[in-house]
Amino acid sequence: MSITYLEAIREAQAKLLRDDKRVFIYGQDVGGTFGGAFKATKGLAKEFPGRVLNTPISEDAMVGTAIGAALEGMRPIVEMQFADFSSIALNQILNNAGTHYWRTNISVPITIRLPSGGTKGSGPFHSQSMESLYAHYPGLIVMTPATVEDAYTMLIDAVAIDDPVVYCEHKYLYYHLKADDLPSEGMPIGRARIARAGRDLTIVSYSAMLQESLIAAEEIAKEGFEIEVIDLRTVKPLDTAAVLASVARTGRLLAVGESFPWGGATAEVIARVTTEGFHLLDAAPARINAKDTPIPYHPNLWSTHRPSSKVIAAKARQLLRE
Amino acid sequence: MPQVPIIMPQLGESIAEATIVSINVKPGEKVVADQEIMEVETNKAVMGVTTPCAGEIAKIDAQVKETYPIGAVLGYIEARAEDAARFAEQAPPEPQGEVAAEIPGRNEEKPESGNGAHFQIDESAVRTSRVSTQDAAASGGLPVPAAAKGAGFLSPRVRARMAELQLTNADLAGIAGTGSANRVTIKDLENYLRQIESQTASDASAIRAGVADAMRRSWSRPLATIGSSVNLDPVLTDRKQRDPKPGPALYVLRSLALALAENPAAAAKLIGSRVLQSNSIDIGLAIEAQDGIIVPILREADKTSLADLATKYDELVALGRQRRISPEMQTGGIAAVSNFGTFGVEWGTPIPLPDQTMILGLGVGKKTPRWDDSKSEFVPVTEAQITLSFDHRSLDGGGAGRLLKRVIELLENPAQL
Repeated sequence: MSITYLEAIREAQAKLLRDDKRVFIYGQDVGGTFGGAFKATKGLAKEFPGRVLNTPISEDAMVGTAIGAALEGMRPIVEMQFADFSSIALNQILNNAGTHYWRTNISVPITIRLPSGGTKGSGPFHSQSMESLYAHYPGLIVMTPATVEDAYTMLIDAVAIDDPVVYCEHKYLYYHLKADDLPSEGMPIGRARIARAGRDLTIVSYSAMLQESLIAAEEIAKEGFEIEVIDLRTVKPLDTAAVLASVARTGRLLAVGESFPWGGATAEVIARVTTEGFHLLDAAPARINAKDTPIPYHPNLWSTHRPSSKVIAAKARQLLRE
Repeated sequence: MPQVPIIMPQLGESIAEATIVSINVKPGEKVVADQEIMEVETNKAVMGVTTPCAGEIAKIDAQVKETYPIGAVLGYIEARAEDAARFAEQAPPEPQGEVAAEIPGRNEEKPESGNGAHFQIDESAVRTSRVSTQDAAASGGLPVPAAAKGAGFLSPRVRARMAELQLTNADLAGIAGTGSANRVTIKDLENYLRQIESQTASDASAIRAGVADAMRRSWSRPLATIGSSVNLDPVLTDRKQRDPKPGPALYVLRSLALALAENPAAAAKLIGSRVLQSNSIDIGLAIEAQDGIIVPILREADKTSLADLATKYDELVALGRQRRISPEMQTGGIAAVSNFGTFGVEWGTPIPLPDQTMILGLGVGKKTPRWDDSKSEFVPVTEAQITLSFDHRSLDGGGAGRLLKRVIELLENPAQL
């Protein structure tokens, strides 16, 4: 059996609907025959009548309604068509969902699925990565699965968690990533994974950039260097201990993310290592992000805007020579 | 009448400021052009400030003992209109434009509507930290150094590891770095540590570690050495008449003490910009101990007779054999004497102790022909080389030379000791 990253997300939702009566899916066209914008809910409306609900085109209303349902004991999964559009619901996500437990001691167990990241020709409004923005605010869990297995188990975990979860699924990985099987259990949430063991340089990454980083590491392995690649899995909570342990092994750090460079997950990784592990660094840490401009449409422009395995490998070589 | 400023002149390369020593004019006084009206002192010399033109001193803003940067206005001269006009032309123009105009890539002109002029970062200005010193100087800013990647760069990790193992920079001297600009990376350090693991090793004795630490600290100073020869025959003859018989090193120590007492400026050490005078002339004498040297101090050596010094020395040697010389007996002092001649060595450049300013070294005495003017022939004398190593921050070649010459004079006339 071969299963894609996208199918894993669909399978996870099917399992959640099957196993937990409180779960329902809420989003634009999720109940249609196509199954949302990307077929992540294809067939689910038929299999689970009345629990896969179409909404008006208002992200604000979608999240607000889901928060209300969650407060009444439900476990809603909200699908954004594109992560970019979730900005319309920022008030509901940050100010209501994120703060509610801390104000009232009542949890808001919603899961918001964000089809994230760039694909060829998608342009500025259908390509953005929002994880750094949501990670900035307290009260939210931000997941960024980079593998088919994690896409499956982490979505199940997201629904089980009482806190609001922003689940960033990468559109580029939907069809590019395949696994033989789905696991029955994953690593605990909040723990990073050593995706590739090494001793010469640590690359910390997540989501689609993990795959690019692994390609870069394999390329550089031919040159005699072994790069350790850490998959953060969740950018919040950030597994600082795992990152520091890896830098303790290698002495060098490169953080790679697809979101914009200003602040964000890669900056946070570097800030934590330099403040808590300055004595571990044998070279100045570096990071790679997308360029600090809106994301371009043209495929050639887009492919230089987002970090690629080539750019990562070039930076890694530079760091290894320091 | 218009006023012309009196400016602190450019007093030489790399001089940024000068201190006013004296002001020789008062407001109202008439002056001619190029008249010296103030004395200023830089770190190199005392120099004069002269009037830019003739006229009358209108005002003196500068104050004696205050320090002013080059270009500062020290006062004003009431001058003739044509002189004032001449200086007005030379004055630098007022800075034009707003600071905002200096932001890289920001257009000075307002963007015209419709031509797509958006705020843009000029990447050529931002991308590289390697702005040339010339560019920076031209723009009036600081020269920008290249990123810290040189051979001397120690990463936080290398430094942390060194601290953990109590290593110093000197311990890394044997490692050829493989990092950028041949810096020593943490892997270089760990490889080196692994390499030396296979060698037989034992813990350094406390005295060895102490000597190593003292020498390393002392070596951080600019040390210089001068040398001369001394006729030891007078000392050897004098010695036979004394009881107890002092060794040649004690004669040298006593001579140095007297020479320093005569010249207290040499008996000083420099800490920051302060010259610290010695309260008493205390001089150490290097004694070889097991696995190192110890340098007990003979206090007030200028006020202690040679006979008393000899008695004290014998006591110290006895204590030294029992390893009973306490740290207090080794601290302080302005100088030390090392008699390496006892090992048959002719000359050397000993390193002063880190808290001392100088060390005198005495080589082995050898029969040498010396020209005797009165007899017009060579006569045999017992000659030894004597070297003075000193902290060049405190003492100059001339001062050290005069001190050494005086030591030699005293040694060749030992009855005075």
